[in-house]
Amino acid sequence: MATDTGQSNQQNTGIGEDRPLKRGPLSKWVSSSIQNPERAYRAMFYVATVFFLFTTLFPFYWLLVLALTPQNLLTNVGLVPNGFNPMSFVTVFERVPFHIYMFNSLVLGIMTTVIVLLLASLAGYVFGRLRFPGKAPMMLAILAISYFPPAAFLIPLFELFTGNVAVPLLGTSLVFGEQLYLNSPDLFNTPWAMVLPFSALFMPLSIFILTTFYGQIPDGLEDAARIEGTTRLGALFRVIIPLSAPGVATAGVLTFISVYNEFFFSFLMNNGEAQNWAPLVGGIIGLQGQFDTPYHLMAAASIIGVLPVAILVIVAQEKIVSGLTAGALKE
Amino acid sequence: MGDVKLEHVSKHYDDVTAVDDMNVQIRDGEFVCLVGPSGCGKSTTMEMVAGLTMPSEGTIHIAGHEVTNLPPKDRGIAMVFQNIALFPHMDVYDNISFGLRLRDYDKEEIDRRVEKASDVVQLEGMLDRMPDEMSGGQRQRVAIARAIVRNPEVFLMDEPLANLDAKLRVHMRTELQRLHKELDTTIIYVTHDQAEAMTMSDRIAVLDSGQLQQIDPPLTCYNEPANLFVAGFIGSPAMNFVEGEVTENGFRSENLDVEFDPARMGVNVGDQVTLGIRPEDVYPADDGRTLSHPTAEIETVSDVLEPMGDEIFIYLLLADDVETNLEETASNNQLLMSVDPDSDITEEQDVDVVLDRSKIHLFDTNSGQALQHGLVNPTTAESTTGTEAESDD
Repeated sequence: MATDTGQSNQQNTGIGEDRPLKRGPLSKWVSSSIQNPERAYRAMFYVATVFFLFTTLFPFYWLLVLALTPQNLLTNVGLVPNGFNPMSFVTVFERVPFHIYMFNSLVLGIMTTVIVLLLASLAGYVFGRLRFPGKAPMMLAILAISYFPPAAFLIPLFELFTGNVAVPLLGTSLVFGEQLYLNSPDLFNTPWAMVLPFSALFMPLSIFILTTFYGQIPDGLEDAARIEGTTRLGALFRVIIPLSAPGVATAGVLTFISVYNEFFFSFLMNNGEAQNWAPLVGGIIGLQGQFDTPYHLMAAASIIGVLPVAILVIVAQEKIVSGLTAGALKE
Repeated sequence: MGDVKLEHVSKHYDDVTAVDDMNVQIRDGEFVCLVGPSGCGKSTTMEMVAGLTMPSEGTIHIAGHEVTNLPPKDRGIAMVFQNIALFPHMDVYDNISFGLRLRDYDKEEIDRRVEKASDVVQLEGMLDRMPDEMSGGQRQRVAIARAIVRNPEVFLMDEPLANLDAKLRVHMRTELQRLHKELDTTIIYVTHDQAEAMTMSDRIAVLDSGQLQQIDPPLTCYNEPANLFVAGFIGSPAMNFVEGEVTENGFRSENLDVEFDPARMGVNVGDQVTLGIRPEDVYPADDGRTLSHPTAEIETVSDVLEPMGDEIFIYLLLADDVETNLEETASNNQLLMSVDPDSDITEEQDVDVVLDRSKIHLFDTNSGQALQHGLVNPTTAESTTGTEAESDD
């Protein structure tokens, strides 16, 4: 027995135990990673996460640095603020009615969310629960809209909403002796100039999310509701939507955030005045005077503007994640 | 008045005909089972009565009103589903009262009715539970309470017991019969389980490939099946079938002959017929002496025994050459017999059997229609007189 173990030990020493001595820390780590690939994956995960967090969070940190730096020290800003001036967060509200801009943003977001959820629910019901010819191409066409760059719509919609588009009314020249025109409504400086394009642009994603959710509610439940006395619409609102609550919440939150973050239409469909329904963008840009550009105030305003959405995401994140994955992982 | 009338009702899908020219009249207070194999159109028929599916042709009347194009909510029906279909986001009270609340009943009236309905199905004290906190049987009782609370004209039940375990199913079966007696409402019940249909219903409607085969009381379907399909579907284990030909001396097949006078049985010499006999109407020759109308003895060899406890099923081979029979297990050569459990017959033993003539059925092999029930000469017949088959039913 003793000789046996001795021999095998010798053999091991001869082949295996010498080599680690020549290895540095990196090659050791490499060889152990080859033994356990999970280590390598975990390391990659940490690297990717740290990189992602850095690129996402650094701008926020930079905003905070800017916001806290007093105006006269705004040159050569480093990684640490050149002073400490929390009064910027108050000054923002003194220079412009920033709370009204925020209120406008909230109202625009909520209006759009309600419209989108209502219409996308009906569309989601049709796409998720009914069978009809041309369903797949129609769904694709709707999704294709969401891939269009919003800027492509800007000029035609601006013309339309400023009342510059006139449609000739056919036959009026025969009846009244002169050609009559129907002018597009003047929606500039009203919420509708923003809510309408927002609703159209953000609808496809909500339709898609709600379609997957409504499609998974068992037919029997809808049948039961209809037998019990609802119409198809009643069954949608009393049974299907309550059971798809995570999906509806996801669609709603995503729509709200998209509207809150939107720039083009928010900037161009009003004159930037708080009383003319300009959202946050108007407030931040409105801080800019004719002779100065108060970066510290704009940074402070940005941070204030981000807060409601940050809170919403933190509160709703579990629902959003479960909502987005529930569609993918059926049952 | 909860009578239901289907006239020339058909349902075509793109390339399939699910229901083909269905004509059924169901009387007020009747318990009718629609029974048939999967895909026979029984569920489609029920969905059309419920209004969940619109018929392609034909009309449906419920309680004297035409409802063919009415939505489900205006038909005066309630339905119990196979997958139970309770609303998972509502508690038991809300589930039961759902239909009442939609119809704007008073709060007191709703309370009173919910209480009464939950009494009937024995759900006292569970009204605040959520469906996922309940067992399968309790959920099914909630679904039934939800159906009865509105006092509908007609109950539709789509395999309501299919998802329950065997013991609970038998229990709920008697509960449903009790409920039917108590409420005295028309019930249309869909099932693929012929035992359920036999035990519960006033009449059975047997469906196959979208067509109504027979609608009659259970024992009529059992004793006088209208055609080969009904004969094979109703009864477990299934009826024995032997294909053969009518000769001057009676029925003749490869391995089994039964003598009778063709002229008196409404068949012609040369007809291709199928003889049907249920396992319990096949007797060992010794026991068969007590029969009033036994056939001649038939030589068989026992093959496989299936002891069930209260009876034994014995598979008998009709041909002399056992080897060939084992290879080709054609039913034509095989006869299933049910005997007392104390029988001493063993496997691979020569057994002589007789058939009870009064229980022999003759079917037209090609059309499947029943030609004759009972092969007792009409002159000497006592109980079963050979009548014309209800082939046009």
